[in-house]
Amino acid sequence: MIVLGRRIQMEQRMAVPKSAVVIVPVVSVIAALVVGGVFLALTGHPPVRTYLDLLDNGYTSFYGITDTLGLATPLICTGLAAAFAFRMNLYSIGQEGQMYLGMIGGAWAGIVLADSLPPLIAVPSVLLFGALAGAAWIAVPAFLRARLGTSEIVSTLLLNYVALNLVNYFIFGSQGFFRDPTTSFPQGRAVADSARLSPLSFFTEKSTNTYPTFFVAVLLAVMLFWFMRVSNYGYETAVYADSPNTARYAGMSSAWLQSSVLLVSGALAGVGGAMYVVGPAGKVDPGLLQVGLGYAGIVVAALARYNFLAVVLAAVLFAGLRTGGNALQVSNDPVPIAIAVVLQGAVLLFALGGELFRRNKVTLVRVQKATT
Amino acid sequence: MVTSASTQHDAGAALALAARAVTKRFPGVVANDQVNFDLARGEVHTLLGENGAGKSTLASVLCGLYRPEAGQVVRDGKEIRLNSPRDGLAHGIAMVHQHFRLVDRFTVAENVVLGHKSLSFVLATAEIEAKVAAITEEFGLPLDPRAVVGELSAGERQRVEIVKALYQGAEILLLDEPTALLAPPEVEKLFSTVRAMTHVGKSVVFVSHKLGEVVDISDRITVMRGGRVTGSVRRGEADVRRLAELMVGREINIVPRRAKSQVGDVLLSASQVHLERDGAAMLTDINLEVRGGEIVGVAGVAGNGQRDLAEVIAGLRTPQQGNVTVCGTPTAGHGARGARRAGLAYVPEDRLGTGLAPSMSIRDNLLLTRERNFLVDRKSALHEAETFIKQLEIKTPGPLTPTRKLSGGNAQKVLLARELFAVSGARVLVVCSPTRGLDVGAVETVHALLDEARDAGKAILLVSEDLDEVMTLADRVMVLYRGRITLEQSGLDTNVDRVGRAMAGIAT
Repeated sequence: MIVLGRRIQMEQRMAVPKSAVVIVPVVSVIAALVVGGVFLALTGHPPVRTYLDLLDNGYTSFYGITDTLGLATPLICTGLAAAFAFRMNLYSIGQEGQMYLGMIGGAWAGIVLADSLPPLIAVPSVLLFGALAGAAWIAVPAFLRARLGTSEIVSTLLLNYVALNLVNYFIFGSQGFFRDPTTSFPQGRAVADSARLSPLSFFTEKSTNTYPTFFVAVLLAVMLFWFMRVSNYGYETAVYADSPNTARYAGMSSAWLQSSVLLVSGALAGVGGAMYVVGPAGKVDPGLLQVGLGYAGIVVAALARYNFLAVVLAAVLFAGLRTGGNALQVSNDPVPIAIAVVLQGAVLLFALGGELFRRNKVTLVRVQKATT
Repeated sequence: MVTSASTQHDAGAALALAARAVTKRFPGVVANDQVNFDLARGEVHTLLGENGAGKSTLASVLCGLYRPEAGQVVRDGKEIRLNSPRDGLAHGIAMVHQHFRLVDRFTVAENVVLGHKSLSFVLATAEIEAKVAAITEEFGLPLDPRAVVGELSAGERQRVEIVKALYQGAEILLLDEPTALLAPPEVEKLFSTVRAMTHVGKSVVFVSHKLGEVVDISDRITVMRGGRVTGSVRRGEADVRRLAELMVGREINIVPRRAKSQVGDVLLSASQVHLERDGAAMLTDINLEVRGGEIVGVAGVAGNGQRDLAEVIAGLRTPQQGNVTVCGTPTAGHGARGARRAGLAYVPEDRLGTGLAPSMSIRDNLLLTRERNFLVDRKSALHEAETFIKQLEIKTPGPLTPTRKLSGGNAQKVLLARELFAVSGARVLVVCSPTRGLDVGAVETVHALLDEARDAGKAILLVSEDLDEVMTLADRVMVLYRGRITLEQSGLDTNVDRVGRAMAGIAT
């Protein structure tokens, strides 16, 4: 491409400068805001005012931030799930479906087991069964990948649609186990009270949408971060991710590494679905199908560069854009939700595009005619 | 500054290409520091130097792949600006890289026209093939234009690259380490092609670190070290020893190393090993024994089963028939970990992609072939890394540096140290092409390490495509040809000619 007699030239950097790690994401977010601002201005909304509203509704007001943390809770789990698989170059995009299965598995445990259990055990068992159900949902793609080399991208994606229809069938399509028997209105059967947590009030009288599971999700992120750094399992996956030939040379089993990583990834997404059960929903709730937290987990993982601790931050950032955007919709000067979605898309696009600048030195060179 | 002899030399001759005070920097290193170089029409001019001396960088500047920070490239007396290899081609300059840039699934002719700008929408296949055939005929590059590149040997692929350059009208050809993958007879063939080219007025820049062979082919040799030109000699003035000193910057001595003490017990043996892959026999009836305190060399041209042999012994492949025994323990079918537990260490040919995890630190790479517990003991590995760095003079900012940032020689030191001085104390070592791509200084170090390990009583199987290396180190020599051992001799009375012919598959 030639602009004003200059050509853009890229050269790979030998070493990524430290400053680029900070500057590139910051510039990416600013660039995304500028692009979003253009859209806002074109649709007749004052950009700065709208951004301040978004900031307030998404992050800085009491209800804003508590809504955001509540939404971020399952998102951290799906983000961890995506990051865990992607680090091993396994591109599972089945977090959405595994999360639904986690909701179903968690609700099952909450209905069947929790009645006879004290909350201290009931809640963890719901999370555990959510994890198992999520892992079960990825078991077939994991086996196909490890044994036959089938692309996990396609198989996990297709199972998302199966999971979606499974939830719809349980609630709308049948009078089955998960359907509330006490009413003809199609909704999920409530889990036992012992399997539910109350929302946090953060030392106020107010009721929020943040549940203690938020801290469980953060703890999961910290534990994963630590475990993958110090354990032999973390070491072997890191070797495999860096160079499968080296892993083979060292006698590591690629089938075991691939399948176990995928199963853990499924379990993490499943926990996210179960957290929805012990938290806001208390049942199999088709409302989860509307939010797309599984796919958003992929975005979060990418923003976090697959770093488990950064996943927490990225999930909160992303959730805030969503809650803030929702709030703008019902403000005095309603901003269409589509604009908030444009903003999310722009953040991701610029963050990933920024990678180009991190890896390459970009310069403008005067174009000279070749002399012969 | 050294005023190279070449600047005086070119006064009369027609100058095809020159570099004037070219400087090219990479982060942390000046790869070319005010380098002057010139090439007369019809000349073979060799750039000689160790790895990292800056010769490939200079060649890349000359062909347009890199843009220098300072200095000029002069073609036929006029300064030219090259922004890409395509610009280089427009000036008739082409480079054949060490790692070929061909599409395996395309035919020779298709590869040759790949990237050519003026292609018609429908390929005029017959016309292209005829033109390719004419070039192969003229320059002595036997090739079938219709052969699929994926099925060709390394030497044939190189010919495709050369034909491609000639097809695109190259008048100046830069060959980067062209003999690295070739057997002795193929090197001869390459040389006659080079002569055919200079005969019709084309010029060749030969980039190499192999002293011996460049003396035969070059009209001039320019030696580089540390990004600068250290000297330049003309045909007839070349003295191998003097060139080596210019390269390394000090005196060197290449002497054969042989076992100094009596050999011990058989520590490694393979009997009647037969390996098939995808229905094709890769190894047939392999029998070998290596005793403690000796180095057995396996010579052969690349692709004759060396890698399969090493991998069978290392437990990475299970042979269909036959036994492998390490220190008395049968290991075939017990995997890489089984072979290691029995006392085997393995240095694969591919250092950075197989022997080491390239993005991981030196410390973490030392853990690779250790027995590891549930939690990894990085502390002792760190200590070990520091010891190795000190003892073996590994040049690196520290033990946490990723191995891909090390030079080839230093990466090899890390790999060798890990395998030689394993905590478990392996007594059998399989090494594949341990000095491939290393500079003279590093080659010396690696050979000394292997020699020491032999003296320490280890049994070493040295699989190498570099015949000189095998002759320098091995107490016994075998030749692997098409998956069979076709020749076996003691190193002391080895007839190099016979080995060379066995490598080329000529019956003796």
